[in-house]
Amino acid sequence: MATNVGTIERQLAPNPLRAGIESDRITDPCNIVFFGASGDLTKRMLIPAMYNLRLGDILPTNFGIIGFSRSDKSHYDFRDEMKEAIDQFSRSGPARDPLWSDFADRLHYIAGSFEDLDAFKELRRQLDENDEKLGTAGNRLYYLATPPTVFGKIVQQLAAAGLGPKDQGKGWSRVIVEKPFGTDLNSARALQTEVGKVFEEKQIYRIDHYLGKEPVQDIMALRFANVMFEPIWNRLYIDNVQITAAETVGVEGRGGYYDHAGALRDMIQNHVMNLLALVAMEPPISPNADHIRDEKFKALSAMRIIPEDQVPKLAARGQYGAGLVEGKPVVGYREEPSVDPNSTTETFACVKFVIDNWRWADVPFYLRSGKRLAHKHSEIAVTFRNIPHRIFGETGDQIESNTLVMKIQPDEGVSLRFNAKIPGPKMHIRGVTMDFNYGSGFGVVSAPAYERLIGDAMRGDATLFTRWDAVQQAWEAVMPILNRWSEARTVDFPNYLAGSQGPQSADALLVAEGREWRRI
Amino acid sequence: MEAYLVGSAPMHVDSVDDIGAILEQLRQSRQAMSGTGGDGAPRVATMNFLVFVDDPAHREWVLERASAVAEKHPSRLIVLDSTDRTKGVDVSLSTRQNGGATVINERVDIGVKTLGHAAIISLTQELSVPDIPTVLWWSGARFLISRTFSGLAHSAATVLVDSSGKVRGEETIRELGEFLVRFPNVALQDLAFMRLAPWQEMIAQFFDDPALREDLFSIDALDIESGSDAEALYLAGWLGSRLSWEPSGRDTFRDSRGKTVLFTKVDKGDQRRVLSIVLRAGTSTYRAALSDADENVVALSVEGTRAKAVRYVPLQNIQNTSLIERAILENGRDQIFETSLRTVRDLLG
Repeated sequence: MATNVGTIERQLAPNPLRAGIESDRITDPCNIVFFGASGDLTKRMLIPAMYNLRLGDILPTNFGIIGFSRSDKSHYDFRDEMKEAIDQFSRSGPARDPLWSDFADRLHYIAGSFEDLDAFKELRRQLDENDEKLGTAGNRLYYLATPPTVFGKIVQQLAAAGLGPKDQGKGWSRVIVEKPFGTDLNSARALQTEVGKVFEEKQIYRIDHYLGKEPVQDIMALRFANVMFEPIWNRLYIDNVQITAAETVGVEGRGGYYDHAGALRDMIQNHVMNLLALVAMEPPISPNADHIRDEKFKALSAMRIIPEDQVPKLAARGQYGAGLVEGKPVVGYREEPSVDPNSTTETFACVKFVIDNWRWADVPFYLRSGKRLAHKHSEIAVTFRNIPHRIFGETGDQIESNTLVMKIQPDEGVSLRFNAKIPGPKMHIRGVTMDFNYGSGFGVVSAPAYERLIGDAMRGDATLFTRWDAVQQAWEAVMPILNRWSEARTVDFPNYLAGSQGPQSADALLVAEGREWRRI
Repeated sequence: MEAYLVGSAPMHVDSVDDIGAILEQLRQSRQAMSGTGGDGAPRVATMNFLVFVDDPAHREWVLERASAVAEKHPSRLIVLDSTDRTKGVDVSLSTRQNGGATVINERVDIGVKTLGHAAIISLTQELSVPDIPTVLWWSGARFLISRTFSGLAHSAATVLVDSSGKVRGEETIRELGEFLVRFPNVALQDLAFMRLAPWQEMIAQFFDDPALREDLFSIDALDIESGSDAEALYLAGWLGSRLSWEPSGRDTFRDSRGKTVLFTKVDKGDQRRVLSIVLRAGTSTYRAALSDADENVVALSVEGTRAKAVRYVPLQNIQNTSLIERAILENGRDQIFETSLRTVRDLLG
């Protein structure tokens, strides 16, 4: 009897060999099911990410991967396709044996429509078989890499096939939902209701790959691992915050989707709002997922909702026409494949928000995002107030405001702009830049965002995923703008050249307040 | 974005006596390079990186890796060359574009073969950039017996050594054990121990399964095949320290229940490489061995009562350059390494 007690105690005790080992390894066995397994996202990002997690020895010892989509193919066809995808898109190069064979043996495929309950029952059978043969212990992660219109249906079918968490005898179930979560506030709420019937909030992982980027995570480190920024991180010292997510690419074959979305839905409502929340939030009491997400939600819920009649004053939109990007001619948005030739969808959006709380009262947050702009450039620029009284500087010397810039991509890093005396007998002042660059400073290359985020979901760490309350709050903030823009469709698009800084109306929005956008 | 070289400016100073001249050369070079590095060419120095080398046969190996690390982690690299290859002082600067930033790397190579320890230490201190950490990579044959080593280690935040290799023996590990006592405020890193991280991870993986964990406490034999002693000793020391084994002889431990664990070390294969680890626990045998098909893959298997199919796992991070980088990025002392080292020291007696 004593031996049995000792055995159980030893089995329950933590593995003593794990102490001190720095490992990202996921220890829970699990199956991951990719819905939309024939799609581009699965081939370009998800399966290469899984394979690289395997190469990094981060996946658990016992794991299985199941692809689910309409196309009719066998497990072997699916493995061949995924090998091609890895060969083409994996950052670690082509798949090689013996690791590839071990990985391939764990890949299975179910063909079926999302309407077809029998296909979901077949999925259940495969999951049960994996539990038995691969030792995956009943743990399941469902990844909805599909158009948002079928999210609700897939979740319903999971429940109908007995694959919902409530039907589970053992193990855990989680679901990863790709953005966009809804196309407006009402559809997001409807989707949440559907998904919420099957999964609890703590089981839903809304993915925003921006949050998996290292510099985005470093915003928290910059703010809360340093003492020098926090005392001045408020309305007393900060004049304004500009958040920019600029792309040089056009719609890249996604014209059909994008023409129904636009820049506000595609970028501002999710990526850019998440950046705003990280800049504006109060210090969380711990790095625990819910503590961080509580603070992000509070910041978003303090955003002042723009009345629809104020939208023309506080927001601007644009659509690119033909132009030159990186020296090459590109077509205008309306000439892109699958785009309505008379489209009034915005490919550029900017908006001014304010946050009504003690920290940020009256500090404008200017957000902008657009396609086919001059450079690929994402950053958060915090501009501080002017000096209260000028004692230095000859006539004509410009005393710049100090600016702290968190550079998200490319050239990830942080720079601080401050004033210095130009050497010489006179007290001439000029702005100078102090730069920190991740590549130079640490000399390490971070794993791509999808690897980080899929790994986190398998571990059950929701810190970098967006909680429903924040999603809802972000929709509430952009809805008046979407409503106003959908009503006032007679706009003179295109109104900016591809390869430019964006439309003049965006400049006018800041000029009216005595400020200007940072150059892209 | 990959770093690329945009300019370099080598210079030579005949005598090491005139520190002022060397510093002036550095200053002038930096000024000259700022023209090629763009507007104002910022200097980014994350550390003073001191590299001591005294073995002509090993010199190129060390310097090649030191350069690779220094270029990636902008630093003032000071090479203390105790072979015959460097005469006087060579000063060189290179600018690199790295992720949009212009970075200047500074390097000073000093021939120290004819210099006494006091001169080397003084020279090094004067050439080091103040207020940034100093990392000492000591590739010399002996450690504490060298007064130069002791002097340089005193001003270092991190000391990096490699106790692996045929020329090094048990005496090296004894010296490292003594180092922990004499330099409690300096972080010691041994590449030989760091190389074992993937093996430690793989052994730990066997026992992540709660059903197998019981066997961890009934191991009666440990066999390690390795190309050099240090890796095998460190692995045994690490397991011993994690499982509360007391060294009871040069090749035995006593486990927490008082039973003997036999340790067998087989010298086989290339230097700095572990070939296999076998743990025997009652009727089960746990084996991690390099795969025949790919030397960067390890086959994990369990035979006997708790038999499991062979599983292949990649062998991670075995590049020496990346190990050196990791040592530099580590912040503070590594308690797991230190307890493993103490266990090895006790095992050797």
